[in-house]
Amino acid sequence: MFWTWFILLLATLPCLWLADLASDALASHSLVLFVSGAAIVAPCRRLKRWQAVLFATGVGFLFEARRPIPAGTLAFLLAGMSIFLTSNRLLLRNTPLVLRGALICNTLACTAWFTSAALRSGSWVANEPGHFLQQLLLQVSFAALLALVVFIPLALIQDATMDRAGIPPALDSP
Amino acid sequence: MDKNRQGATASYVVLVVCVVLWMVLPAAVHRFTQEAFAEFQAPALHLAGKGRDLARYWELKSRDKEEILAASRDLARANAALELQLRRYDDVRKENLRLREMLRYNPPGDFLTVVARVAVRDSTTWWQRIVIRKGSDDGVRAGCPVIFSDRVVGKVAVAHHTTSEVDLITSPSFRCTAFLEGDEANRIVLVTGSPGRGLAAGRAKVSAIPQDYFHPVGSAPKVVTTGLGGIYPAGLVLGNLDGAERTSQDGNFKEAGLSPTRDLFSLQEVTVLVPKYPSAGELLLEDQARKRLDELR
Amino acid sequence: MKAPDETEALPSSPIAKTRLYLVFTMFAVGFIYVALGLVFRQLWQSGDLKAQYETQSRRVVLRPPSRGVVYDRNGYVLVENRIRWTIKADLLALQPEIHRRYLWLIKSERARGAPVEHEKLQEKARVDVLQGWLDRVWYVIDEAQHGRPAVAGKPRSVQPTDEPERRVNPDELKKHLRERRALPYTLVTDLAFPGTTRALKPEQGQRTIARFIDQFPVNGPISLESDIVRSYPQGTLAAHVLGYVKDTEDLPEKVNELADLPLDNLQKLHYTGKTGATGIEQTYDRILCGSSGWELWTKTSSGYNKELIASKPAQQGSNVTLSLDRDIQCAAERALAQIKDTKGELLPAAAVMLDVNTGEILAMASQPTFDPNKLSDRVTRVYYAEIEERKGWMNRAIQGLYPPGSTFKLITAIAGMRNQVIDWDDILDCGPSYRVGGREFPEHDPAGYGQVNLEKMLAVSCNVWNYMVGLRVGPERLAKEARRFGLDTPLLTHVPDADNSSQFELPSPSSRTLVIPDAAYKKRIGAGAWTDGDTANTSIGQGYILTTPLHMACVAASIARGETRTTPAIIHDPGRDGRHVGAEPIGLTEPQLTALRGGMELCVSEGTARSVRIPELPFAAKTGTSEYFKNGEKAHLAWIVGYAPADNPVVAFCVLVEGQLDTSTWGGKTAGPVARDMITTWSRKADAPQGVEPASDCQRK
Repeated sequence: MFWTWFILLLATLPCLWLADLASDALASHSLVLFVSGAAIVAPCRRLKRWQAVLFATGVGFLFEARRPIPAGTLAFLLAGMSIFLTSNRLLLRNTPLVLRGALICNTLACTAWFTSAALRSGSWVANEPGHFLQQLLLQVSFAALLALVVFIPLALIQDATMDRAGIPPALDSP
Repeated sequence: MDKNRQGATASYVVLVVCVVLWMVLPAAVHRFTQEAFAEFQAPALHLAGKGRDLARYWELKSRDKEEILAASRDLARANAALELQLRRYDDVRKENLRLREMLRYNPPGDFLTVVARVAVRDSTTWWQRIVIRKGSDDGVRAGCPVIFSDRVVGKVAVAHHTTSEVDLITSPSFRCTAFLEGDEANRIVLVTGSPGRGLAAGRAKVSAIPQDYFHPVGSAPKVVTTGLGGIYPAGLVLGNLDGAERTSQDGNFKEAGLSPTRDLFSLQEVTVLVPKYPSAGELLLEDQARKRLDELR
Repeated sequence: MKAPDETEALPSSPIAKTRLYLVFTMFAVGFIYVALGLVFRQLWQSGDLKAQYETQSRRVVLRPPSRGVVYDRNGYVLVENRIRWTIKADLLALQPEIHRRYLWLIKSERARGAPVEHEKLQEKARVDVLQGWLDRVWYVIDEAQHGRPAVAGKPRSVQPTDEPERRVNPDELKKHLRERRALPYTLVTDLAFPGTTRALKPEQGQRTIARFIDQFPVNGPISLESDIVRSYPQGTLAAHVLGYVKDTEDLPEKVNELADLPLDNLQKLHYTGKTGATGIEQTYDRILCGSSGWELWTKTSSGYNKELIASKPAQQGSNVTLSLDRDIQCAAERALAQIKDTKGELLPAAAVMLDVNTGEILAMASQPTFDPNKLSDRVTRVYYAEIEERKGWMNRAIQGLYPPGSTFKLITAIAGMRNQVIDWDDILDCGPSYRVGGREFPEHDPAGYGQVNLEKMLAVSCNVWNYMVGLRVGPERLAKEARRFGLDTPLLTHVPDADNSSQFELPSPSSRTLVIPDAAYKKRIGAGAWTDGDTANTSIGQGYILTTPLHMACVAASIARGETRTTPAIIHDPGRDGRHVGAEPIGLTEPQLTALRGGMELCVSEGTARSVRIPELPFAAKTGTSEYFKNGEKAHLAWIVGYAPADNPVVAFCVLVEGQLDTSTWGGKTAGPVARDMITTWSRKADAPQGVEPASDCQRK
């Protein structure tokens, strides 16, 4: 079905918003709970490539929409990742591998948005590389942790949606 | 597996082409995309805000009667005290008006106020923002000051249709001029947001403090807006000087920390001051306004 | 071909094997060569290469220090440093915008069918983009000055864009790219005073700054930098004493902290600093200048600053407290500004007031003057030429050389009494003229003064008395007396801490240009033999004699103390003990000195200075009206020297006014009011109760 990717995006939205609400609670600690990277992994196991790419781009733009990040950075990065994942589905053939994939994707995407936001935010980043690295490490470790915690419920919701939409199950599923 | 790999290279090529295309597309397209996705999420933000209000409502509803009675008694007392103060303020206001008339001074208070509830907060080292449930449909424009009673909360960074993003004063992209309490010469200092370290909250910084300024002993002097910049009305509190002033790197000035007078992340409701006339900066930084200026020349 | 042939052709034959070994050997040698080269570079040359890398990839940026503050004797600020907000454009951040503009220009050139000149278009793109941002900045400046635009969204009036500071200068930009590519380009030098053509009120300046800060984005390509500039809050007050500053690339360096770096080979980048151009700013430069700060940066391959490695802030210069009193200085300048010729033009003039006891200069004014604020930054050629034309650069109080006229009669009288050719109570019969060597020397009163003693001579300024006494004393002894009072000795010499001990505290004439004439002098300049006529002329302060107003003020101070010399000082030192270099007792008997002082008092109470008498404060003075030639025409110089109060002298003064091609200028009438105003201001301050500051008209401008 053509609109599967969009339906999946709608199904994923509440999870992304929940992450935003959790970020809200942690706002005074300057942390954003980032799950967008992990959110593209499960669909990449089953969706067609073009659908997965559209889905990933949508997820990326949703994150960027309310944040001062150079436009398109995260969206195109996630699109690239989704191309890679859909071309190498063997890398996601069982649960531990999928978890690993979610972790890597979330960490990479988090590094990307954080760095691009830093570059956008002004020249003093260059003057205080230590501070930048410290904050990056903090943010990325949270992203990694969150990928592991949130992935299973997220994947369950996404898989259920794809089952409903009649997408065939992943070939190498354990 | 082979089937999976089919067309992968082509996909990458298409992606690269798309990225290049995206980069050369005019900024308006970027803005439109961003705006579209923001609007798409706006209802959810409203919902989150409404949910928060509902939670607060139920929380209040679950209080027992004794508690409410005590609260209303306290409120009545506070009310009485405020009533008294109000009367005094009324006298002061009249006096003020009379003096203004004598000096033929017209206050530049041309602001419309828009009260807005806070929907969601979002902060990292690089930005400290809150999203409020009022947007350009309610007259909010980018660059408008956002206050809470007499304190500056921040400045509208982006105004969507029904929501707006507000850069808090601790945000690195926030900057405004201020006067320091105790500086009789009223020299301009700069207030800028500065990111917090580790898990600490963002802070703000006061710079360009003249070398010969020494703050009154035993008090944290207030930092107030100048009202000269055409954006913030004069006399709003930005916060208090925090700690001693240090000499800046170039040795010309001093700088100090600024602690906002309230926890900016616990605010439920804020007021947006919308100037009746757009400021020069607001006009000029928009491409269209710039074109208009060119036409005028 | 058969297969066995092919096998034979394989390199199994001895010849082929030799070839193979040859090839192997060549490869091996090559490999060893490369390996040895690498080892050599890594182990032996690494130190040098590293040093080379460091010098090539690093640069030192020197930041000028802010100069010390100059105070008057009561602690009022005369020279300070003001915050200047400069708007700069980061060319690196603007690069994408410039590139877009460049592509657009190419497209439009092609559309027009014109040949595309890439370099020219690139330059144009750069200028266009910067111009766009400059327009926006100016819009904010205009808006801040004129208030809110009349129609929302539209500027009230379209400003003329032909003012040079509103246009990006392509040549300046090119120069900037060539010489200081790494530094941001300055769009507006001083946001508070953006144009040199129009003066802004301080509130307007503040509003402009605030508008820019509040309305322009923080992370945009246009940034606001603040630095410190020299400011003279009192405007033209004491401009000649204070001097002004000029740009210098030669910063005061104390970069010992960088000793471990090959500093000579490192690229050094200077911000422009300031150095004194004249006045105290120049002579006390070493004290005021402070020491530069530095920053060590790595740079990108295209020459922009990349990362700050180390830095040290600049150190502000020390402060200097001048002996000047702001209020007396102000009174003197205001009074001088009242002196105009018939056409209403200001007359060149000078006024000095000293503390009799310490010799500290309380006021030193010279007219015409200039505003050092307008010179402390970029000097406009127009203003420079204007000062030049008015001859405003000269500090007439110490640089102006004039015949002292009748004020010299004090010296003649002292010489007469010390050489016993006349006594205080001797009476001479003075007619309307006196014949010397076949020439009639006139009295200024055609009727003559008749019976004249010392006191009357000083009161009415009798010439004939002086001719007679001068001739009796003789030229050598007259000159000796003048030298005894230091009239040919340079003043304000010796700057503490200066390398060169012959330096002056303020730019002053050297001893060669001060003239006390005698026979040897006249011979030296080739004017022939000395005659009695020359002696008569010298005795009334005319002829070859040349001195400065400060010298005459010192003579007055010395007489007030009963000594011969006064060492003036421009730096305030509360511990000054009143000893003066080369001073000796005046050498007159008590009645002689009393008569001399009495004559000066009589001059004020009923003599030539009676028009400026202050009833409640008697003071002593001697006026003078000497003749000089200005552009070939006869003109008058008006003098008055003296001290106050008469009974217990505290201040001494001298005022000089150059009359312009007319003879309506007279000592008492023209120069007197300036002296009176200075004395009144001094006395008002002196009479004020301790700790109470009398109301001053001289407020911050």
